[in-house]
Amino acid sequence: MDTILSILIFFPAIAGFVGFGITKGSAKIYGIAVATIELILALLLWMQFDTSNAGMQFTEKVALIADFGISYNVGVDGISLFIVVMAALITLLGIILLRPDTKNMKNMIISLLFLEMTMVGVFLTLDAIIFYLFWELSLVPMLYIVGAWGGKDRVYAAVKFFLYTFAGSLVMLVGLLAMAYLYHQANGVWSFSILDWYTLPLTEDQQFWLFLAFFAGFAIKVPMFPFHTWLPWAHGQAPTIGSVILAAVLLKMGTYGFVRFSLPILPDASVTFIPLIMALSLIMVIYTAMIAFAQKDMKQVIAYSSVSHMGIIMLGVFAMNAEGLGGSVFLMLSHGIVSGALFMLVGVIYERTGTKLMSEFGGLAAVMPIYATVFGLMLMASVGLPLTIGFVGEFLVLLGFYKISAIGTILAGSTIIIGSVYMLALFKKSFFGPVRHEKNLALKDLDKRELTALIPLVLIVVWLGVYPKPILGPIDNSAKHILTQMEAKAINPATKETIILSKKEAE
Amino acid sequence: MLEPVNISLESLNLVTLMPMLIAIGGGLLILCIDLFKDNIHKSFYVALTVLILLIDLMVTMGLNFGVEEKGFFQVLLIDGIAVLSQAIILVASMLFIPLALTSKRFHEYSYPEFFALFMFMIAGFQFMVSSDNLILIFIGLETASLSLYTLIAMHNRSNSFEAAVKYFTMGALAAGFFTMGSAILYGVSGSLELNQIATAISDRLNEPGIMILLLGGAGLLLTAFAFKLSLFPFHTWAPDVYEGASAPLAGYMSVVPKVAAFVVSMRIFEMFINLQIEWVQSMIIFLSVITMTLANLMALVQKDVKRMLAYSSISHAGFVMVAIALATDKSNTGVFLYYTLFMFTNLGAFTMLWVSRHKDRVHHERFDHPYEKFSGMIKIMPMGAVIMALFMLSLAGVPPFSIFWGKIYLMSATVDAGYLWLAVVMGLNSAIAAYYYLKLIVYMFLKEPTDAVKEEIVYYNVSKPLMVVLGFAVFVTVFSIFMVNPLIDYISTMLQASSFGI
Repeated sequence: MDTILSILIFFPAIAGFVGFGITKGSAKIYGIAVATIELILALLLWMQFDTSNAGMQFTEKVALIADFGISYNVGVDGISLFIVVMAALITLLGIILLRPDTKNMKNMIISLLFLEMTMVGVFLTLDAIIFYLFWELSLVPMLYIVGAWGGKDRVYAAVKFFLYTFAGSLVMLVGLLAMAYLYHQANGVWSFSILDWYTLPLTEDQQFWLFLAFFAGFAIKVPMFPFHTWLPWAHGQAPTIGSVILAAVLLKMGTYGFVRFSLPILPDASVTFIPLIMALSLIMVIYTAMIAFAQKDMKQVIAYSSVSHMGIIMLGVFAMNAEGLGGSVFLMLSHGIVSGALFMLVGVIYERTGTKLMSEFGGLAAVMPIYATVFGLMLMASVGLPLTIGFVGEFLVLLGFYKISAIGTILAGSTIIIGSVYMLALFKKSFFGPVRHEKNLALKDLDKRELTALIPLVLIVVWLGVYPKPILGPIDNSAKHILTQMEAKAINPATKETIILSKKEAE
Repeated sequence: MLEPVNISLESLNLVTLMPMLIAIGGGLLILCIDLFKDNIHKSFYVALTVLILLIDLMVTMGLNFGVEEKGFFQVLLIDGIAVLSQAIILVASMLFIPLALTSKRFHEYSYPEFFALFMFMIAGFQFMVSSDNLILIFIGLETASLSLYTLIAMHNRSNSFEAAVKYFTMGALAAGFFTMGSAILYGVSGSLELNQIATAISDRLNEPGIMILLLGGAGLLLTAFAFKLSLFPFHTWAPDVYEGASAPLAGYMSVVPKVAAFVVSMRIFEMFINLQIEWVQSMIIFLSVITMTLANLMALVQKDVKRMLAYSSISHAGFVMVAIALATDKSNTGVFLYYTLFMFTNLGAFTMLWVSRHKDRVHHERFDHPYEKFSGMIKIMPMGAVIMALFMLSLAGVPPFSIFWGKIYLMSATVDAGYLWLAVVMGLNSAIAAYYYLKLIVYMFLKEPTDAVKEEIVYYNVSKPLMVVLGFAVFVTVFSIFMVNPLIDYISTMLQASSFGI
């Protein structure tokens, strides 16, 4: 199974092409079948994955544009492995949750399968241009999903999403080209391979500008304050499946980019930029949490809470130690699972009532007990209650970041408080108290389709909350590996200091 | 009494003239056939034209080329870029001509003269790119342009006449600038051969006052080519002309005349740049930045797809013009790579417009192809919508579609030359451009069909030959990733066997 990564990347796309020939009625079951196979392949990859090896595994390399150093180059390590598994899982569950009467189901399934290819591709590729290729290509199906199945202002939201990300990533592209040029200057050959770039020494000045260029692409995707304005629009207008995939997987591309590109390639600049990143992330964490509290729409609450949690992830990435980095990768996964589930849950109630406004509900706990239980559990996980999946990552990130800045950690820690405030307020307004509308009394609880989609997520939330080791182990290995690379590559002693310090303590 | 001149036939190296002769002979042949037999269906002429162009292409590819490969009283120069650009011109022409075979009848194609003129135009372009003699370049340019004006007017609508006259007037102005510029260079150097001009200028570069003359020469020539390449502020003719011309001809105009003009610009302006005359470089960079930015902004507000594509072609030309200013091997490779890839996508996009062209049903009193015409196309013509969307994404520079590779190659060349800010400007411009390409996608995919659209079949003109051309364009657009490497290899080999810039 040496080609398993290629199969993982291209199987959904080929299945998407084949899907053009499927009849409308069988589109959904076809989608489920393909996504299941993809998930099984991803799990197979996990089983064969050598957890003691921190470097890249299952690598494949085929030269595409040899004169220009572009090759198809894929590989997987502990960081990308689980994100890919999560992407496959979320896609499958999202497809299961699709209402059978969704209009143009066939187009939806085909778009989702193409989207899955681009998502898996982004996380598995080791060539900067191919990375960029999947990165940009992921915008197209998402544009279509938001624009065709979204709410009232869907076109505006879809185009805004596309243009924001596209503009940022073009600046990133200039950075990638400059990087390749510097590599050419140093070694006389062109290469866009990230692994080659890891070995290229860069002056602090070069790193500074390259960091800014990469930052433009990644920060918009994360989305970091003040580039986050597209996200509430996209979430507000996207159909459930769109929000689920956007929150669970697409946002992770940004933070993954920081982990895969910015940190190991530009270690000195990464350390230089810690204060800026810290400031922006803290604003993200606190400011957007407050905005979330002010929202009337359930989906917007979750959208802003997403931004807030992405801030914590960013802090972890730039904690420059194994706890922080490993924790933030874990948090990427847990946030993917939890926010995915929350968006699914909002979608469930929206399908029943046609509204997402909290003021319309109330007393749902009595009417829909199972729904309320699942919602409550996911909400707790989102806040970071111990023994749920949300706690592990958040705790590790805060622990790691404490070594960078105690005050920053305290401020970031306040997210747990503000987070519980807005989440519990949401829960109180919607689930307790009197039932505000007569018609809400007749609401049906979760049906079989919805339970099939949600139960696996519930199980994962509890399982990994209690026993995160099987996942945390490989992540931690690879995180340490990245830190070692950073330390070896850093040219400024102060940078080495920042990284070594935490490594010693980690040992 | 003049001395008799003795010239041996070998020294003429007549084989260098073969490609143009084939095109001209082909044109004459078509005219002769028309003399003997009337009312031959256009498919005959299309087939004949394609075959003649094919022979022309094969002969061109078989030519010996090199820096010293001169012929016909030393005015023809068959170097690498001459062969390369002729090949591009011929391939584009071969893709263009089958578009005459629409299922509906259009005025111009019922005249054999159309095909003859087309051949003469190609010969003109071929002369233009395979010479470094300013007079021959001028003659080639004018032959081609005059034929092109007529081809536009043959579409036989009032706005085609307007377009042709407008283009003609602007072209005449450009011709004036070109001759004056050449005259000044002749005054400075006493020669019309670019390589001799270069030697003469580099000898006189330290003379006081020479810069004013060079400013005049280079400035006038730049103006002339800015007209031809539709660079700001000489771009104003382009949208009207594109709108008036038939869609395939507009697509053709956005590629072939530009390739030819870029080749000549390379020969002329890179000479100045390599002579370390820096303001030529700054001037070109300035022009290209303004051209791509303004054209993009103008394209944003267009209501007609064809006008939007016209502005987009202007912006693409501005983008490529950066390469002329850089004057490095890589940037020159980039020019050809970009235009080769652009050719397929853009011709495809214009073909899609052509396919949807209807003579009687009018969607808009002013425009042929308003955006509304395409709304909800995914519901009516899913395949057509997907194909058009592919072309739009490619034009926007979304990987892995063809133009992306040209874009990154040129941006990479810009980065290599140390102009990071320029690369960022190019990137941001691509982001602006994405908006108006997306607009069409939004109309096609995300809007409901209007009542007027529902009633009619949007593919009105479609026929097998058009589908073949479209299929070819789609194939190249989608799978270009596998063609880029051989293309770069070939282009850089050809460029190494070229003499320009020195």
